[in-house]
Amino acid sequence: MSHNTPDKDNQTSEAKKTISLPISRVRLIMKSSPDVSSINQDALFLTTKATELFVQHLALTSFNKSSGRETNTLDYSDLAKTAETTETFHFLTDILPKKILARDYLKTLEQMQDEEADF
Amino acid sequence: MDGDSATTDASQLGITGEYMASSHYVLQSQDGEEDDGEESLNDHEDGGAKENYREQDIYLPIANVARIMKNAVPQTGKIAKDAKECVQECVSEFISFITSEASERCHQEKRKTINGEDILFAMSTLGFDMYVDPLKLYLQKFREAMKGEKGMPGVSVGESLSEDLTDDSFSNPLQAGIITADGQQQNVMVYTTSYQQIPTVQQIQFS
Repeated sequence: MSHNTPDKDNQTSEAKKTISLPISRVRLIMKSSPDVSSINQDALFLTTKATELFVQHLALTSFNKSSGRETNTLDYSDLAKTAETTETFHFLTDILPKKILARDYLKTLEQMQDEEADF
Repeated sequence: MDGDSATTDASQLGITGEYMASSHYVLQSQDGEEDDGEESLNDHEDGGAKENYREQDIYLPIANVARIMKNAVPQTGKIAKDAKECVQECVSEFISFITSEASERCHQEKRKTINGEDILFAMSTLGFDMYVDPLKLYLQKFREAMKGEKGMPGVSVGESLSEDLTDDSFSNPLQAGIITADGQQQNVMVYTTSYQQIPTVQQIQFS
């Protein structure tokens, strides 16, 4: 089944198929980091590919954490929970805050103030 | 405390969820905008937050992200819309996270161009070392495919190319012979990019 000279077009389209995210957009995001001047092609490809792996990883981990419930749906709270409990995803806690009821927030705030007053 | 229009009426705020705040929390407004998360970010004095300096919120297309998620979870599973949007944001965060780490290493070594090694090293450092081996394999496959595309065995695509691809980046252009209508043969130099989403740059030189 293997040929000595596989069809070059096949190889290229296979390479293209291995990526399902737009590389140019990935580059844009990378460039928006401060102090980034230029990015080599390998770095760009690796980041794009890694991002795919990341999405899969995050989605599956979060989905598995929610498997106790009946709805079989992955939602925001699953993601927030994963960010909090899984070391690898800790960096997401800032953008994945858990949602709470306003009255609970105010109660917590009062408690915090009381504690600070003790110092 | 400051006079935020605080209301304890949860129904007005449209807040869901039964969680108590641990470290960070956001109050979600009725219209479902999650921009409150961004605002509360800026209020934090928390250092290490490159996200405070992000000029725009650039995301990858949600359709692509959603498709990858869908393929990752079991067939019968479903994904809520807010989860898709959320992962979209997480993705940008991830890219910035890796990039700034790689960039730092680059600077430490007095280099200007972030290369593949920097990215792999950053991943390892930041707890994503499980990605490193699969990524190396993908890179290998990708390089081989690129070689095939250029038709030049031994061309190393791994040289540090500046991300502004100029014509000089392709020192081995494809050659194509074209026979024109009046029967004369012309040699055409074709510069192409095959992996980028940018428009193909072509120059035709008549020898």
